[in-house]
Amino acid sequence: MRGTWPAVAFFAAAALGPIVVRDAFFLDSLILILLWGASAAAWNVAGGYAGQVSLGHAAFFGLGAYSAALLGTRWGVSPWIGLVVGAVLATAFGFILGFLSNRLRGPYFVLATIAFSQVLLIVASRWRGFTSGSEGIPVPFRPGFWTLGIADKRVWVYLVLVLAALLYLVQLYLERSRRGYQLAAVREDEDAALSLGVPARRLKVAAIAASAALTAACGTLWAQYVGFVDPYYVFSVDLSVRFCLATILGGIGTPLGPFLGAAFITLLETSLRARFGGIGAGLVGIYLIIYGVVLILMVRFAPQGLVPWIGDRLRWRPRLGPTA
Amino acid sequence: MSLLSVAGITKRFGGVTANRDVSFDVAPGELVGIIGPNGSGKSTLFEIISGFYRPDAGEVRLDGGPLTGLSPDRVCRLGVARTFQKLRPFAGLTVVDNVVVGALTRTHDVRHARARARDLLDRVGLADKADAHARTLSTGQRKRLELARALATEPRVLLLDEMTGGVDQRSIPGLVQLVRDLHRGGLTLLVIEHNMRVITAVAQRIVALYLGEKIADGTPDAVTRDRRVVDAYLGQAYTQ
Repeated sequence: MRGTWPAVAFFAAAALGPIVVRDAFFLDSLILILLWGASAAAWNVAGGYAGQVSLGHAAFFGLGAYSAALLGTRWGVSPWIGLVVGAVLATAFGFILGFLSNRLRGPYFVLATIAFSQVLLIVASRWRGFTSGSEGIPVPFRPGFWTLGIADKRVWVYLVLVLAALLYLVQLYLERSRRGYQLAAVREDEDAALSLGVPARRLKVAAIAASAALTAACGTLWAQYVGFVDPYYVFSVDLSVRFCLATILGGIGTPLGPFLGAAFITLLETSLRARFGGIGAGLVGIYLIIYGVVLILMVRFAPQGLVPWIGDRLRWRPRLGPTA
Repeated sequence: MSLLSVAGITKRFGGVTANRDVSFDVAPGELVGIIGPNGSGKSTLFEIISGFYRPDAGEVRLDGGPLTGLSPDRVCRLGVARTFQKLRPFAGLTVVDNVVVGALTRTHDVRHARARARDLLDRVGLADKADAHARTLSTGQRKRLELARALATEPRVLLLDEMTGGVDQRSIPGLVQLVRDLHRGGLTLLVIEHNMRVITAVAQRIVALYLGEKIADGTPDAVTRDRRVVDAYLGQAYTQ
């Protein structure tokens, strides 16, 4: 397994975290990094490996969050079943979006994905009788693993670590398998891929559907951890951009990239907010400006993302497979 | 018995008829050239045979089985590979990975595909470029890469769109030799080529198109002496 040791180190460090540090703030950051990393990795399956850039992935995240929250509050169903239901729904919507991607290319596809998430936002915020509308849904805390009522943050770390590792392995598969090569060909040049016998359309649709299902699973776990689902947050374009941004900053089409990117964004955001966010700090909102400037600098000096950038410096070749 | 049969192909784009009732056969092991001035419908014909366009009328058959109406990936898997006139390498992938994609159409084993890809790169003379990114290749090298990639799909018939077009003079003999070797190895080829000296030297038969119609079909000698071909395409310069 050449080239995977940085990822092994990353996940091992995350696994050691709760043993070494007991601080609640630290554990909370770690959980969010892993969750956002997993969500970004799920986005990477479509956006990075299949080259289908979506800014509507919040739709799938929201489907996962809502499915589990609604099934739990209304019928007392386990969030694990909610996770499966959310993933199935997201797969169905992913197929629809996948078929759209065969008709719409480039910016038109991106616009369609945004519109798609906005439609779900409207449904979730207006269908008061079922979704409680814009008030959102508090996720009831029912102690136990089956109900995901877990108060111990250390358990949460390991739970989301399993999800994150799973997402990493999915990406590794896309980097090294036959399907991964074929998907890379479709991303590079669809017609050339077709001419070589690659079933381009089917592969694209399958990648988007899989990406949707995995994003929904992240949404379910996030909602269960945070304990509240707000339609304006889970279906927001901001959230979609976050998945995309984390992946691009970390290294699009690399398996570790989304995790490094998510870690970078999450740490930058929380540290800037802690330092400059309060009213007492003077300029309210200055942290957003600094945040923006840092992102611009990142894209300027490491346009390929952190993984290739670090790789170049350490002469470590992170990209063995057919990735751009 | 023909391996590839093109029968009565007609293709219209709005008011323009790109192909009108074009028919010809390619026998197993044959190397057939297609010539014709710009806009005579050569490339359209290739798009139809390879499944990218659907004809308005007519049929393409491979070894008796219909190809018309199938998607390009199905056509490839049935044994018809092609190259593109405007070269389309997977620019972000390495040279060897480009060929691996083709090889994976015939095997599910990536390691096996990789070994085959290296063999093919060796055969087309790109072995030393295997790990370079495809975007760093020259036009002549890209032609060779497209050839290797198409060969990796183990075609029964290979369609070459502009074998030497856009390549500098010094690279032409090497490419011609490569195509000759493939033909000698038993491969059936259909080749679009502008360079008359090249095509008359390698082809066993030439099909000439003009304004979408077939105007000649025969040995290179016969076709280059055909009155209509001379008038339509070759002009005075070639007869002198």
